[in-house]
Amino acid sequence: MKKFLIDLKDVSYSFQNSHILRNINLSISEGEKIAVLGQSGAGKTTLISIINGTLKQTNGNYKIFNKNHNTLKREERIKIGTIWQDLRLIEDLSAEQNVNCGLLSRKNFIFAIKNLSNLCSFKEAHKYMEICNLKKTTFNKNIKNISGGQRQRIAIARTLIQEPNILLADEPFNNLDPKLSNTIKDILISKTNTYKFKKPDTVIVSLHRLDLLDGFHRVVGMNNGEIMFNVRMENLKDYHLNKIY
Amino acid sequence: MYKLKLDTTILSFLPILILIPLSISLFKNIHLGGIDLFSEFILSAFFPRINSNILITLLNRLSETIFIALTSWFISLVFGTICGLLSSDTTFEILKLPTLISKVIKIILIFIRSIHEVIWGLLLMQIYGINISVAIISICIPYIAINSKVINEQLENINPKIIESISNINGNNLSSLIILIWHPIINTLKNFGIYRLECALRSTTIIGLFGLGGIGTSIYLSFQSLSFRELWTYLWSLGFLIILFNVILKKLGSYFFNSKILITSLFCVLILIIFSLFYFFDFILKPLPEYYYSLNNSFSLNKNFISYDFFKLIYETILLSMTSSALAISLPPVCSLIFINRKGKTLIKGITFLFRLIPPPITILMFLMFNEPSISLAALSLGLYNASITHKLLTFNLDNIKMDQFIAINSMGVAKRIAWLYGLFIKQSKNYLVYCSYRTDILIRETAIIGIIGSVGLGWQLQESISSFALEEILIILLAYSSIVLVGEIINGKIKKNFI
Repeated sequence: MKKFLIDLKDVSYSFQNSHILRNINLSISEGEKIAVLGQSGAGKTTLISIINGTLKQTNGNYKIFNKNHNTLKREERIKIGTIWQDLRLIEDLSAEQNVNCGLLSRKNFIFAIKNLSNLCSFKEAHKYMEICNLKKTTFNKNIKNISGGQRQRIAIARTLIQEPNILLADEPFNNLDPKLSNTIKDILISKTNTYKFKKPDTVIVSLHRLDLLDGFHRVVGMNNGEIMFNVRMENLKDYHLNKIY
Repeated sequence: MYKLKLDTTILSFLPILILIPLSISLFKNIHLGGIDLFSEFILSAFFPRINSNILITLLNRLSETIFIALTSWFISLVFGTICGLLSSDTTFEILKLPTLISKVIKIILIFIRSIHEVIWGLLLMQIYGINISVAIISICIPYIAINSKVINEQLENINPKIIESISNINGNNLSSLIILIWHPIINTLKNFGIYRLECALRSTTIIGLFGLGGIGTSIYLSFQSLSFRELWTYLWSLGFLIILFNVILKKLGSYFFNSKILITSLFCVLILIIFSLFYFFDFILKPLPEYYYSLNNSFSLNKNFISYDFFKLIYETILLSMTSSALAISLPPVCSLIFINRKGKTLIKGITFLFRLIPPPITILMFLMFNEPSISLAALSLGLYNASITHKLLTFNLDNIKMDQFIAINSMGVAKRIAWLYGLFIKQSKNYLVYCSYRTDILIRETAIIGIIGSVGLGWQLQESISSFALEEILIILLAYSSIVLVGEIINGKIKKNFI
């Protein structure tokens, strides 16, 4: 029997009597790049939250690294990185301090304190900020004083610096113009690695824009908490999309 | 080169460095004379004494405490709101009256607020003797001024654009005023007013330690006679009372302000105002006892009073305030960070509850069993008491915070303590420091009572001057106190402005 990196079997999630996810069956192998499509409220964010362990399924079976998420060791949890839809940046810190937060899982408590006091090295943070097309002038700006698009890229840089094996990205192209969206998509999923950084092997991205599907291996369509289709990119047809839009 | 940036999170932890000199000083002053007594004190907590005599005393003292606390709380809330309105520039601007009046009232209130209720109690006790009215009035005086400050701050924070838009309607000035102030006042009373009852209970206990009645008097008498088991009976009962009051008020609070009860309450408030004013004037206009005049005339200012020693006392008071403030600010986050698991949290909650329960004068007396009197010891007692209060607020806020950031950091596989720091505390640190600066204002006033017991700072000299009816000396000390509090308030105000 084939072992999958991520394996959801009949997973459902309910909250206050409303069914948000119903009988989700999804298996993802190492190295796959998956796009999850669906309208707002289709259940994409909940699916990502279950995969990264912040929500627990109410029914069904979910395994990651062939284990239940709550039994994962710290070293295994470090391998999962998430770009949140609401970004979850720390408002009182500068852009570079926020990016350095991605290093917290690999560094000790002294680093955490030094980062808060602005006394640690930002070399690595700057590298990832440059990868995400952020200008030097934004590096030490307070997060409150920068635009939505820049914040989006800071959140992406924070997750990439974590060097995760599995990247979960919940609408990472929000607030980005078409050109930047393509650049960021290439950074996340393409095999070319101009900047020589550790790219995530397995990527799951939820998105709305169909023009960004190019480069993904598989597309999963969701509607009303259910998977409507799960096809290889080359097999995606209009009638698939009609099921969800 | 990295540029050091002291953000609110670091600033909340940094004052913990005070523990280094403090520990050295405390270690130097250790004596083992009272260790047996101290262990007896601790053990007695588990075996409080209960017999019919103690129960009768307990019931009498508790009913006195409840009466003093409830009366002074209610009066100070009502008059505090009125004084808050009268000291606010916003009120006078809306009513189109000169703001000079509000400024004068504000200055008077600063002076009143700067003197601790114990000092008011001791002063009034010297004049009117020991009675419940003195206890109520001595709590009411500073509490009215404190409540008025909070109300005033809320009114000053009303958006000027809203004031302008309401004023432009050109309606009746009084109607405009009511529309603008109603919600800020009701919200303040709802959130801050309930908390003040717990403060009133604690103040009643503290002034009781100085002989003004209530459970505090019994606590102090049993401590003096080393009847620790009896002492713990009173302390646990007080703890139970505080918890009971909090539960009742939380239940009441939810519908107290939004039903017909509000109209009834307003009617009660009106009657209370009339009754209080009558009572207050009767109290003030009552002829003073004859001994007061004879003593007053026989003492005058000692010419050497304002000397090097007096300035040393001021220095000691400032040092005491700063050291205990540092502890009150930094201990809660440090303890929360160290004791991050459930068991540790419960342990810290229990310890802080005890420190809130035991009045600081008793804490310092307890510490004196194995340490010489010093500024460090006084600072430790006052710092621990205030840290237990700031800790309560911190844990309450952390328990009610949105967890999204914590979840994000935690999901990266970050260590628990770092996730707490970056995901929870960082979000709360600004509010926490703002509250700490409020607490520091109160703490400076409290140095007086610690000084009396711990023989440090102006508090000790004040007790001496009050005992010898040296009114001129008392006035000078009170002025010195007010100046320290005023400077403290100005500094804290600037800090708060930077944070908000």
